[in-house]
Amino acid sequence: MAVALLDSVVDELTAICGPDHVFTGRSATFNRARVPAPFPVHKWDEHVPSAVVLPTSAHQVSEVVKMANRHRIPVVPRAGATGLTDGAVPLRHGIVVDVKLMNQILDLDHENRTVTVGPGINMLKLNEELRKHGYIYPDNPASYPCSLVGGRIGTSGWSLIGARYGHTRDLVISFEIVLPTGEIVRVGDGGGRTVRKSSSGYQLKHLFMGHQGTLGIVTEATLELVPRPEAEFSAFFAYGDYMDAWRATGDLARSGVATLAGVVLFDEWKLAYLRRDDEAYIPQPESIKGVIACASYGNADEVRIGAKRLLRIGNASGGVYLGDEISQGDWASRHDRYATPQHGRTRDGQVALMSWHCEDASIPYSELPAVREEWHAIAAKLRERFDMFDDWGMFAYTNGAFKPWGDYLTEIDIGIWETRWDEETWAAWVDAKRELARVSIEHGGSISACHGSCREGEVDLVPAELGGGFEVMKTIKRGLDPNNIMNPGKYLLDQAYEEA
Amino acid sequence: MLGFKLSAQRPPEPERVADGVVSRFEHVFEVEPALMTEHVRQQDIPNWDFQRIVDSRWEHLAWMHEHFADSVISGEELLAELEAEQPNP
Ligand SMILES: Cc1cc2nc3c(=O)[nH]c(=O)nc-3n(C[C@H](O)[C@H](O)[C@H](O)COP(=O)(O)OP(=O)(O)OC[C@H]3O[C@@H](n4cnc5c(N)ncnc54)[C@H](O)[C@@H]3O)c2cc1C
Repeated sequence: MAVALLDSVVDELTAICGPDHVFTGRSATFNRARVPAPFPVHKWDEHVPSAVVLPTSAHQVSEVVKMANRHRIPVVPRAGATGLTDGAVPLRHGIVVDVKLMNQILDLDHENRTVTVGPGINMLKLNEELRKHGYIYPDNPASYPCSLVGGRIGTSGWSLIGARYGHTRDLVISFEIVLPTGEIVRVGDGGGRTVRKSSSGYQLKHLFMGHQGTLGIVTEATLELVPRPEAEFSAFFAYGDYMDAWRATGDLARSGVATLAGVVLFDEWKLAYLRRDDEAYIPQPESIKGVIACASYGNADEVRIGAKRLLRIGNASGGVYLGDEISQGDWASRHDRYATPQHGRTRDGQVALMSWHCEDASIPYSELPAVREEWHAIAAKLRERFDMFDDWGMFAYTNGAFKPWGDYLTEIDIGIWETRWDEETWAAWVDAKRELARVSIEHGGSISACHGSCREGEVDLVPAELGGGFEVMKTIKRGLDPNNIMNPGKYLLDQAYEEA
Repeated sequence: MLGFKLSAQRPPEPERVADGVVSRFEHVFEVEPALMTEHVRQQDIPNWDFQRIVDSRWEHLAWMHEHFADSVISGEELLAELEAEQPNP
């Protein structure tokens, strides 16, 4: 059940944020209970926050956090709520601090090539403004139309064009953050707001990036400005064998082409899934067992020269170029492929409305073929037991910024018929999630490349993955958040307080 | 009022094009109706609505290209150039 706050606490929140920015009603709170990761809809009540605030300044955020400390009330930051590891899900009710109203462009610095924004701004909207000045902010997740800068920092996100431009951590220069005790600090490389490289002091920017709201609330960020690309090039190649496609993926990623923004490998399960109702793949012959997409951006002359090299590599590796219509159209669809519930099929082939769930990991290139086999086996076992899970295939995306050849963001997409959840199916899912994470670690990878790893199941293996690093995490958490009010229950960090 | 007759908007009968997929208009695919009988029912869509969905999709893709870069380089053209650059055997 939702836990009601004392009237006096609601009054305090109202005094801080204003009467129009504090909500305790059913619609405002229930809608902020979940994110699109698998959600136990049969236990929805357990995650409902007690109140939602939409602050408009760092000062207000700071006052809310100080008040929460006084009353020992949990605080959960929430941006676009597209995070896939439950980061913005309130595990202990409390106050959700929704940063969506802090969505202004605060400063555009043409000389030093930075833009300073509130955490509630979305990259697509930001880029509509930046385009007028010939810039782009190239943080490009598949959730580009709906995730926000605050959440990108909270998760340390991954970008589809990160091989060329870097990922969130490379693109955010510095930011202001309200610490769990309410102080407002700025972190970056050193103390400068626009400094990209400093050796002064600890590298705090990285500490406060990807903490899933457990170490504070970002209230402002200074971001990199990049010249808007003159040209885009994308090419899709088809292969008769997954292993050929895997080898070619490595060749393309190691090509040294400076404009290369990313390479994506589709496996045969993914192709079978796309053949159900995707116009680009339905006409492709069954003999195609692997597809590669690659894309590049930059100055037109440089993109052209690089593109020729990529085409030569694609051809030499036995790939068949799938034509401009698919290559360009499918790349332009890169944000759309996910919200497609009608793609779900029961075991007898009937269409069922399933939600898309992406399980991600960072996997070394050499291990991709083996991980793929093991992950599909886990998905097959689930489907065999319960006719509510469906294997939607795997993608592997280049993961390194600027040097994209080492490891890959590896994702298996699983369709889940969520209205069928009950205790048994939920438990089976959590077990499967833990198994997927175990495979990633056993193959020298990391549980997550972009979403984070604090969900039920996977989180159990975080201490195993991080080893002594997890002890350091607990020490930092206890030191910065003595009352455990910032997003409690995440990342097993309650242990930090039990041990104390 | 614009003329609109539902009878003139009935799409042609579907043709089976692949396992589980039918098509009524060139390059427009639908899930085979037999697969949509238990949990989700297929809807009747008039011709204009098919057209609207297809056109909107193309518009969206064009918008997305333009949003990220000033121009799109054609792989087909580059492949033709590569072929022309090859020394004659
Ligand atoms: C269709 C789809 C595609 C996706 N594709 C990608 C992808 O390609 N790459 C990728 O990286 N991710 C992807 N994701 C996952 C998700 O979009 C990212 O994790 C994104 O960074 C989350 O941003 P958000 O604004 O939605 O944050 P939220 O979900 O609201 O929050 C994410 C985490 O950050 C914390 N947080 C939010 N705001 C703040 C703040 N101001 N200060 C401190 N902490 C904060 C929250 O507490 C939470 O722990 C995808 C998700 C979907 C649904």
